[in-house]
Amino acid sequence: MPRRGPPLALAALVLFGRVVGAQSDPVLRLDAGLATIQQPAIGTVRGRETSDAALLAAFWRRPLERSTLLASGNLTYARDSLAAIQGVAVLSTPWRREPNLRTDVGVAGASFSLRSAGTGGNTNAFVRQHVVRTDDGGWVGGAMGRTRRDGVPSATTSTDLGLWRRWRFLYGSASVAYQHSTDWLLLYTAGDLDARAEADYDLVDLQFVLQARGGPHDLTLSWTRRRVFADGPISLPALQGSGTFQLTDRVALLATVGRQLADPMRGLPQADLAMAAVRVSLGPQPLPVMPRAVIAEALVHTEVGTDSSGATMTPRAILEIRVEASDTAAVTVAGSFSQWEPIPLRWEEGVWIARAPIERGTHRLGVRVGNGPWRAPRNLARVRDGFGGESGLLVVP
Amino acid sequence: MMPTLSSHMRAAGVALVGLMCGAPLVVTAPHAQAPSQAIALAIPDAKARQAVEREIARAVSRGLPSAPLVAKAMEGITKQAAPDRIRSAVAAQAQRLEQARGLLGPTPSEAELVSGAEALAAGIPTAMLKQVRAAWPAQSVVMPLDVLTELVARGVPPKQALERVVTLMRRGATPVQIAGLGAAVQADVAAGLAPDAALEVRARGVMSLLPSPAAAAALAPSGRRP
Repeated sequence: MPRRGPPLALAALVLFGRVVGAQSDPVLRLDAGLATIQQPAIGTVRGRETSDAALLAAFWRRPLERSTLLASGNLTYARDSLAAIQGVAVLSTPWRREPNLRTDVGVAGASFSLRSAGTGGNTNAFVRQHVVRTDDGGWVGGAMGRTRRDGVPSATTSTDLGLWRRWRFLYGSASVAYQHSTDWLLLYTAGDLDARAEADYDLVDLQFVLQARGGPHDLTLSWTRRRVFADGPISLPALQGSGTFQLTDRVALLATVGRQLADPMRGLPQADLAMAAVRVSLGPQPLPVMPRAVIAEALVHTEVGTDSSGATMTPRAILEIRVEASDTAAVTVAGSFSQWEPIPLRWEEGVWIARAPIERGTHRLGVRVGNGPWRAPRNLARVRDGFGGESGLLVVP
Repeated sequence: MMPTLSSHMRAAGVALVGLMCGAPLVVTAPHAQAPSQAIALAIPDAKARQAVEREIARAVSRGLPSAPLVAKAMEGITKQAAPDRIRSAVAAQAQRLEQARGLLGPTPSEAELVSGAEALAAGIPTAMLKQVRAAWPAQSVVMPLDVLTELVARGVPPKQALERVVTLMRRGATPVQIAGLGAAVQADVAAGLAPDAALEVRARGVMSLLPSPAAAAALAPSGRRP
């Protein structure tokens, strides 16, 4: 995951939702919108310059056999004052023996022409380890980046650590990130350093994010306190709010307002921005994105038993649900086969299992870990349940 | 939601099933009222609870089966959905059942109605249900509809899925063979094959086992479906 200035944990939360919501269908989303961006003007430390910009972004996700590949790109354009194109690709892989663990590895690149911070490009690579449980989790990661700005090279390294927790519809996270950079022009143009060039500097960001989710809609507020250590410590606050309002299955409105602090990892300057965009989801019918912390499978096999006299009975179909989750979790399955009566799974040899007779025909069912959302087992077709979630569709011949 | 409340809701949900399935006379009458104590535990909001009851009673009075509507309400209770959302989900299910009845007529079985409603919920166009019925006017179309629904839910374009399923039906495939097609596509998709490509491969495989179209026409059953 790329290092972003203020929305570090927000990006982690959003990408977390996108990554671990690894679903069976590829996803393509396009965002298009307008923004007003106010940036410091180069050469006038206290001066500000406002640009109206057009935004275009794409997000693509493709589930692979064991991993999920995600790619996104965006273009920001405001004629002579601002033009930037960025891209990122991430491979997200759950651990085979410990499904609550996931590793993300990615690369990102950018090319920019900014009146405030010069012309050049940037490349960076990152790795992040996640612990994803039903209602909480955390991550630790590191990144390295190189930026060339007006012909001058610079380097940035970063490490970050975060925790998140869910309370019903509220998600909260707290994170801390440490960055070391030689990209002095970036902070200089933001008015955060003295006029003389610093050889290098350190940044420590402390960030809190609160997100409310209601079905496909969300509202997010993030607050960041940055400490800059150069020739003397400087403190910078940043507040940002954003929201997504889903109009139809495929169309959503997005809005963001607030401050984005300078991002030396990606070579992007500080800016105050207000943005509104329309998101269009393409590909198979999109479903609400929710965290998927467990791997569940539904299998049907035929059982031929004998009665008390030893005579062979008519074969009957048996549904077997297998869920890989922590042995401390409470796992249940429910569906039309049980009249939606939740059936607790048993812990057997390292996996949660339930077996129940099932009639022929079409069944809907879901699996739940703890108080988390009801999810479709991964090998079943997923359908909307009419309650803002999903069910798995199982046809028993 | 607290587990204790949830378990109360479950208990009441079972009472709701008993009411709807075991005492049809009660719900056949429009605006039939269930014993308030049982339903009150299921959906605490009285207005929403009565609205769900009315939706089910209204559907039953129109000759629709209550079981799939009760199942939808039970699903909502188990998933702790908002009462109004349960009501709207039940109403939508009733609407789909009614649509399916018109499309699969003249006398579809209850199982066919349920399968038809599932197909509509998965986004299969109404005209396609008519085509499935036209392919097998005298046999139960439960399994073809179920397989069609599953294929579309997996991402196969509806037109392609319909073409393959209807071709199999017209060539005299048995419900078990059609079900086998769905299971094989599911296995291929799990192995990483694109859903539409998996369907093409598997449909050809099933097709090779079937008699020619002319022979299939001669063998087509003429009796009514069970």
